[in-house]
Amino acid sequence: MNAIDAPEQRAAQVSSAELKASGSVPILLLFASAAVWLLPAWLLALVCSLKFHIPGLLAAEPMLSYGRLRAASDTALLYGFGVPAALATCLWLLCRQGRARLAAPAVAAVGAVFWNFAVAGGLWGILRGAGTGYEAFEIPRALAPILLLSYILIGLCGIITFHHRQAGPLYPAQWFVLGAIFWFAWIFSTAAMLLLWEPARGVLQASVNWWYENNLGTVFLGFAGLAPIFYFIPKLTGRPLHSRYLAAFAFWLLALFGSSGGMPDGAPLPSWMIGVSVAGTVLTLIPILAVGLNLYLTARDTPSTVDASPSLGFFWAGLIFWIIAGAQQVAGALPGVGSLTNFTWFGVAQRDLFRCGFFAMTMFGAAYYIVPRLADPRCNWPEGLWRAGLIKLHFWLTLAGTLIGYVSLLAAGVWQGVALDNAANPFGSVMRSTLMAIRMSTLAPLLLFIGAAVFLVNFALLLKSRGCGCRREKSSTCESPKEAA
Amino acid sequence: MNSGPMLFLGLFASMAVSWATFILAPQLQLGNLAPAKTVSVSSVPVDYPNNLPGMARLGAEVYRASGCAYCHTMQVRPATLGSDLARGWGIRRSVAQDYIFDQPVLLGTQRIGPDLANAGMRMDATAMLTRLWDPRILQDDSVMPSYRYLFDVRRIGRAPSSNALVTPRQFAAPEGWEIIPRTPALALAAWMSNSRQDKYLFEAPPPAPAAGTNAPGTNAAPAGAIHAPAK
Repeated sequence: MNAIDAPEQRAAQVSSAELKASGSVPILLLFASAAVWLLPAWLLALVCSLKFHIPGLLAAEPMLSYGRLRAASDTALLYGFGVPAALATCLWLLCRQGRARLAAPAVAAVGAVFWNFAVAGGLWGILRGAGTGYEAFEIPRALAPILLLSYILIGLCGIITFHHRQAGPLYPAQWFVLGAIFWFAWIFSTAAMLLLWEPARGVLQASVNWWYENNLGTVFLGFAGLAPIFYFIPKLTGRPLHSRYLAAFAFWLLALFGSSGGMPDGAPLPSWMIGVSVAGTVLTLIPILAVGLNLYLTARDTPSTVDASPSLGFFWAGLIFWIIAGAQQVAGALPGVGSLTNFTWFGVAQRDLFRCGFFAMTMFGAAYYIVPRLADPRCNWPEGLWRAGLIKLHFWLTLAGTLIGYVSLLAAGVWQGVALDNAANPFGSVMRSTLMAIRMSTLAPLLLFIGAAVFLVNFALLLKSRGCGCRREKSSTCESPKEAA
Repeated sequence: MNSGPMLFLGLFASMAVSWATFILAPQLQLGNLAPAKTVSVSSVPVDYPNNLPGMARLGAEVYRASGCAYCHTMQVRPATLGSDLARGWGIRRSVAQDYIFDQPVLLGTQRIGPDLANAGMRMDATAMLTRLWDPRILQDDSVMPSYRYLFDVRRIGRAPSSNALVTPRQFAAPEGWEIIPRTPALALAAWMSNSRQDKYLFEAPPPAPAAGTNAPGTNAAPAGAIHAPAK
């Protein structure tokens, strides 16, 4: 079936404006909180990075020690920004593609509020030394149930919305959305159970932690970022998705292989675990290529209207970074490479590229499309804002920050890995020699922080544009006439 | 792919595969590891590992709370991977058996500093405390931050305290003041001193003897030294 990924073609039983307005409160709340959390996330990362310039910096202040700052920065990025932004996008896509009103928006809003309180408390706790110590799962023990419950509240609204969708074929974006919503609940509850409530014995804690971190990144953030890519790239380029079958193929392989990875080679685990993990990670190359090919073939003959939407650039950048980050993960899992690059900045570079380059970029693109439509259902296009160039500024700041951080940390990682492989090179002097690159990467959180501030300004402007500054009648090229009606 | 329930079932199945492989199966294999007899050609096998003293347990919590694991791993890779053993970070690779009494188990994913699985075999508590106060005292090219908040700097009373940290002049407290490690610092030092994977096990045997010697091979574990859970 040559599916045209345009829900507008379905008969509209729910009026367009009503549909757009439904769920605007929880979705805007989630987006707004995500935007706000980016500021502390990158500010903390900046201070962290500054410690490589002055090792004695803030040494007397326990709350600002390197380890705690890094844990807090990760938490703010993943749980403050990542999950809420992913949920907001997912909920909106479920409403939009299912042509259904958001179920129980009040419940979702309550969930969003509690989630944010829990993240705030968690961040404070981590800085005070109550973090769990498990990477990407640092939220203090007492707050994990609140996070899980608020997530379930929001997720349930999504599932019920999905249940009330209008009959018809499911779109690829809907598969990814549903996958993301289920996946997080599963992995978070497993990790909370086996790390916090009934801690597993010994090294199993490490394997649960790695499993969680890998699933959180590759599958949850991956699906939540790919969903808008699969929805918006065909929509904004005006081309039908090239192949629905290829999308399904990639989706299932990603679910299967993407979820089996994350165990570092040489870890004190049974070797079959590492073998399965390496095989799974290497095989993710197939879905990565399938997704890339599918979207490339979709947009190959795009007419010159591409520039019309500010969101599209974010999605393309996100997709390209997703492919690079995925390919790097595959490369790092190869036995010959992994023995060099494990435990170096190589992995950090990959992770940052995935989180900032792919995931955050995609969420920004989605927010720039969704927020003005929710803020004012009759509004078609925030043209004034686009001309002001603030979105462009945000795009370039994020792109520059991501690239500078990526290139410098990748160089540091490769250098460190190769140099350390020779035991004749003393550890200290190797670390010293990577300092130049690490110090250069300080620019990354700085640029990203400024970008996040611009994003917040844009966000406020988009909300303020409610009822003014929008040209209602003039439909822009990227909107179908029906939607403008 | 057009039916909601089928989509859900498919997702459930792929999640279940991942969960069964990486959570359930290892739990069944390793979940009940108990101390095992060590493998040794020269001495009587003993139970390994031993439970940790209280101060070291507290130190593990300080290790967690300070985020030490963001820069230090606690896992030595086998000789075929990297230079861990050649650097003297251990006498053998780390295995699951080494961690059964640790809580929380923070193996780490990045080495900005050296591996600490065997820190206790390289450093004593004093060296550890000195490094916490200022790592550049012992190693002038260290990139590790100082952890001064783990110490009290106080005026010397009638006589200098016996537990005051001794440092070179340029790192010392001002004249008339002394540096006293606080409990978290002492606990961390105790935890580090207890970090020693210094026993050979069936799954982590002593290195094979160099070719051309008559020393007995050790890869074939002697009878009675087989990895067996202590009952």
